[in-house]
Amino acid sequence: MDWTALSLSLQLGALTVLLLLPVAIFVGRLLAYRRFAGKPLVEALLAVPLVLPPTVVGYYLLVGFGGQSLLGQWFERMAGHSLVFHFSGLVLASFLVNIPFAVQPIQRAFESIPHDVRDAAACCGMSFWQTLWRIELPLAWPGVLTALVLTFAHTLGEFGVVLMVGGSIPGETKTVSIAIYDRVQGMDFTAAGQMSLLLLLFSVTVLAVASGLGRRFGRWHGRPGH
Amino acid sequence: MFCRGLISAWIAHCFATALILLGGHARADEPVVAAASDLKFALEDVAQAFTLKTGHVVRLTFGSSGTFATQIRNGAPFELYLSADEDHVLKLHAEGLTRDRGALYAIGRIVLIVPPDSTLPLDGELDGLAAWLAAGRIKRFAIANPEHAPYGQRAEEALRHAGLWDAIKPRLVLGENVSQAAQFAISGSADGGIIALSLAISPQMIPLGRHALIPADWHAPLRQRMVLLRQAGATAQHFYAYLQTADARVIMRRYGFVLADENG
Amino acid sequence: MAGPDTEFSLSVRQRAPIAIDARLHCRGGEMLALVGPSGSGKSTLLRMIAGLSRPAEGRIVCADACWFDRAQRVHIAPRHRRVGYVPQHYGLFPHLNALHNVMAGLGDVPGPLRERQARQWLERVHLSGLERRRPAELSGGQQQRVALARALARDPAILLLDEPFSAVDRATRETLYLELADLKRQLSIPAIMVTHDLGEAMLLADTMTLLSQGRTLQSGVPRDVLAHPRDEAAARLVGVRNVFDGEILGHDADAGLTWIKAGASRVACLLSQAWTVGSTVRWMVSNTGIRLRSRSGDTAEAGHVPVRITIAALVPLGDMLWVTASLPGVAAPMHLRVQRDHAQGLHPGANLEAELHAGSVRILQPEDPQTGSARSC
Repeated sequence: MDWTALSLSLQLGALTVLLLLPVAIFVGRLLAYRRFAGKPLVEALLAVPLVLPPTVVGYYLLVGFGGQSLLGQWFERMAGHSLVFHFSGLVLASFLVNIPFAVQPIQRAFESIPHDVRDAAACCGMSFWQTLWRIELPLAWPGVLTALVLTFAHTLGEFGVVLMVGGSIPGETKTVSIAIYDRVQGMDFTAAGQMSLLLLLFSVTVLAVASGLGRRFGRWHGRPGH
Repeated sequence: MFCRGLISAWIAHCFATALILLGGHARADEPVVAAASDLKFALEDVAQAFTLKTGHVVRLTFGSSGTFATQIRNGAPFELYLSADEDHVLKLHAEGLTRDRGALYAIGRIVLIVPPDSTLPLDGELDGLAAWLAAGRIKRFAIANPEHAPYGQRAEEALRHAGLWDAIKPRLVLGENVSQAAQFAISGSADGGIIALSLAISPQMIPLGRHALIPADWHAPLRQRMVLLRQAGATAQHFYAYLQTADARVIMRRYGFVLADENG
Repeated sequence: MAGPDTEFSLSVRQRAPIAIDARLHCRGGEMLALVGPSGSGKSTLLRMIAGLSRPAEGRIVCADACWFDRAQRVHIAPRHRRVGYVPQHYGLFPHLNALHNVMAGLGDVPGPLRERQARQWLERVHLSGLERRRPAELSGGQQQRVALARALARDPAILLLDEPFSAVDRATRETLYLELADLKRQLSIPAIMVTHDLGEAMLLADTMTLLSQGRTLQSGVPRDVLAHPRDEAAARLVGVRNVFDGEILGHDADAGLTWIKAGASRVACLLSQAWTVGSTVRWMVSNTGIRLRSRSGDTAEAGHVPVRITIAALVPLGDMLWVTASLPGVAAPMHLRVQRDHAQGLHPGANLEAELHAGSVRILQPEDPQTGSARSC
């Protein structure tokens, strides 16, 4: 049982969610409520990580942020260490790869708020922030929760990108999914089985809790009767 | 409008992100050692002995030698590199990425391995394999990927030498490194494979398969070289030196990592 | 009290995404009904008044405050406009109870006062006791009242209602009419109500503006607009069924009539010397202006012109007969409704005489595609 790897995975998941969620809320809201030229293209670009194989994404990240790239070299000067093969590289890769998992549920949730409600909120004298905080988010909250859960669970399971960008360095970038793979290669099937089961139970629990919470809060809002 | 609030929120968010990314785990001197995957069991034992003796810790990561070389070129933070093929080390040295030319730590050998209950006639000259191939009884055969794994290249050379390459090529299952190839070979999903001797004789593998040594002149020698990289710190240097001591050599020999001047 | 400082006026134009060419005017204390079929742009106009949508050109002024002026590049955001807006499906915040919904509009009011005012408003719309209920737990009529309270609690400069009664059943609707009429008397602000129901407009509105395909056609007192539509679009909007082609035959100043040739018949309307003899016109007769003659051959009443018609079809509906007939030489059919018990001798193909009341026959203005015709008649 590789507790370091598990702790790394949990940290990675938490950090990704923390950094991605606010961005996803604003982007999701923007896509839900604004029309602009090129919107289909933007939506398609945001969805790219869904269809590209993780190794392809990992490859481009390596090329884009690796030691040979401008960005990578700039980062190394700033931080004293490289972006790739380092935990921060994983965070960045995880952030980018999870964008569609976070943005899409949130966008759908904002879209499902009846526009009458939003119109009324605007005419009630509420500022943008007041409307977002008191009216829109409480109503879009199941979508935000879904985004949170999907992002976290997806990050826990990420393998291809993490391996390419992180390099499986124990205590740094060797997340639990890589540790499992490693144990299998080392013929240590007991450890691999233990970690896999733990991951499975954890994911199922998180998903069940989130689903239950979502339904409970969903019961608040009926639809305005016609 | 809301612009002011939005911009300040965005700035705060970027700041937090930068902090997180630029921060990162403060690490005591625990160097990362990149080692060919056939060293998995042997090196773990040596590292343990090293920690017991000096109190210093090294972090080990195993994989394909070729992949590590590429990563090193891309700025991977390894401090010591043990390659299954000295070619990689020498190239890195030519590119100025290493301290020196390093030192040989073993001459590698390859073996034919089959699952314990297999009925394939096991011999180092691969006659049994040839017979089964001709009879169409080989469905899948595992080797490491010759593109970047030294053991895979040697396996290919040996198979060519035996005149079996063309026949067996469509049946091959390629492991990303020789460890994965070993895992495929004894998993029951393959009829067998060619892997590193050091893996085959490790305590973990012994009960999982039977093997036969393939003649060394059937393939180019696997001169296995280790080297300190430019960014190597004190602990890495210690470990490198320790690897060449008698204590460490005993452990290595036990796992089949023998040098030319040692009996093995 | 109603006065020039509470007046509302709007004049906007745009081509896309929805073509709009509208002029509205409403005084404080008055209710203006904006009437038109679905898709005519009524809701869009309302949203423009609220500030939720920005027209391409024009000017919107309310209570001496300029809310929108393209030329001066003025556009006040909805939250700064003091608008009381009740959307078509009320737009109540589903996660807040009735009290909090009303309080949501009271952001400018200091804390402790907010709840008290909200409660007072809920009382005023007869919803005391239901403060803690969520919108999903309220009936349609109750929801509408909460939305109204929320809109009015803000002390708005104008009240906007988008099809307020379309989603409620008949019984609730009648109660709501009474309440709205009551509220209206107490308010000194202009109120604009969007509806497709002429009957509602007649009941509740002081002024009515007809809207079709984004253009305001005519404004005026509802009764007048109904009786005297200016052009064919307006006529169709107010439900006039009979519009025909005709030619001016002549003017009879002594009798106070103008004669129109319609196919092989002659009809008369009140003297309209503006129309030159011989010109082709479109003319209408209002639905109440046709009746079947009891006996043909009798002298017509003064002001009534007899015409011969042939019955084409009869459809019984309820206690009325819907009759389609034709005037000789006129392609378009004539539609009338007859009481079932007066329907002796009616069958398809029957030739009878009908009377057209001259006061109900009108010559329609040609539709001007460029300008909106929104002058009072």
